[in-house]
Amino acid sequence: MKFFDLKKRDYTIIIGCGRLGANLANTLSNEGMDVLIMDESKDSFHRLDSNYGGLAVVGNGMEFSKLKEAQIDRASAVIAVTNDDNKNIMVAEIAREVFHVNKVIVRLNDPECETVYQELGIETICPSVLSIKEIDKILDSFP
Amino acid sequence: MMAHSLLEQGYQVTAINDNYEDCLKLAKIKKLNVVFGNGTRPYILEEAGAASCDIAIALTSMDEVNLVACQLCKKNFSVRKTVSLVGDPNKTDFFYKMGIDSVVCSVSTVTGIIQQQAFIDEMASIIPMEKGRIQIIEVQIHENSPAAGKRLWEIKLPKEGVVGCILRGDTTLIPKGDTHILAGDILIVITGNGNELNMIHALTGN
Repeated sequence: MKFFDLKKRDYTIIIGCGRLGANLANTLSNEGMDVLIMDESKDSFHRLDSNYGGLAVVGNGMEFSKLKEAQIDRASAVIAVTNDDNKNIMVAEIAREVFHVNKVIVRLNDPECETVYQELGIETICPSVLSIKEIDKILDSFP
Repeated sequence: MMAHSLLEQGYQVTAINDNYEDCLKLAKIKKLNVVFGNGTRPYILEEAGAASCDIAIALTSMDEVNLVACQLCKKNFSVRKTVSLVGDPNKTDFFYKMGIDSVVCSVSTVTGIIQQQAFIDEMASIIPMEKGRIQIIEVQIHENSPAAGKRLWEIKLPKEGVVGCILRGDTTLIPKGDTHILAGDILIVITGNGNELNMIHALTGN
């Protein structure tokens, strides 16, 4: 059981309601965090659990007005997980440089660009690199 | 279009496009190198010779693609100058902040040109140079302008300004003191900042 101070609740904005975005939103919301998930298509929200307790907003996460509407200034973390690397990068850079969000995490499908964005203080997650590490670990564990 | 005009000016140009049919069309342009692929992928940029190029220009209709392409050129390939088109006028400052050297917003540029064209009779177009320290002004002379029919030396001009050029019909004149200014002329005037309105007033009376 987790206890939390109502005033200091972590507020997380997730951009992109694909499989990763939706599952992340479900998980964080179940842990008791405030979550807002944004996607350009209303249909993507069917991936959210029926008991998902956060907000779901239709909109383009690269638009300043939409981000302000989502109260990005109050967010402690922004996570960009659309299926387009370029969009994720731009969302992250806007969150970081325009709205000064502390924690910014980006999913990149192409690990080649990773190094470029790490210097901005943006955390990058690359599924294929993670998978390689895991598979390598499993292979090593066989005698 | 952009490639055409750059080639005409004698630049060596490589175009990157991720639509194969567009590439075929581009390939018909003489001297233009064409690379088929996504300009936000480092290996495509490498193939296009980004490491040895001087200027990178991103002109897609997607802001995020332009931003990432320019950033990659800058950071991975040390391209000296990056120019990006931006569709959303609100993002101009953000693009500059992200290290792009020159940001062109199609919407505000076109709006500006249309406004100038619409009010061309009353307004002179002003181009700021050197971060606005110097202004180059295009001034149209009408029949009732005080300068019309006078020689250049007869007009009292503010100190910090010269008439650099006269456009008369299809001809271009470099004026001397005794050159007559006629109604219908367009004068290209160079002034220090802050004097442009005095200058326009002295020439047109507005």
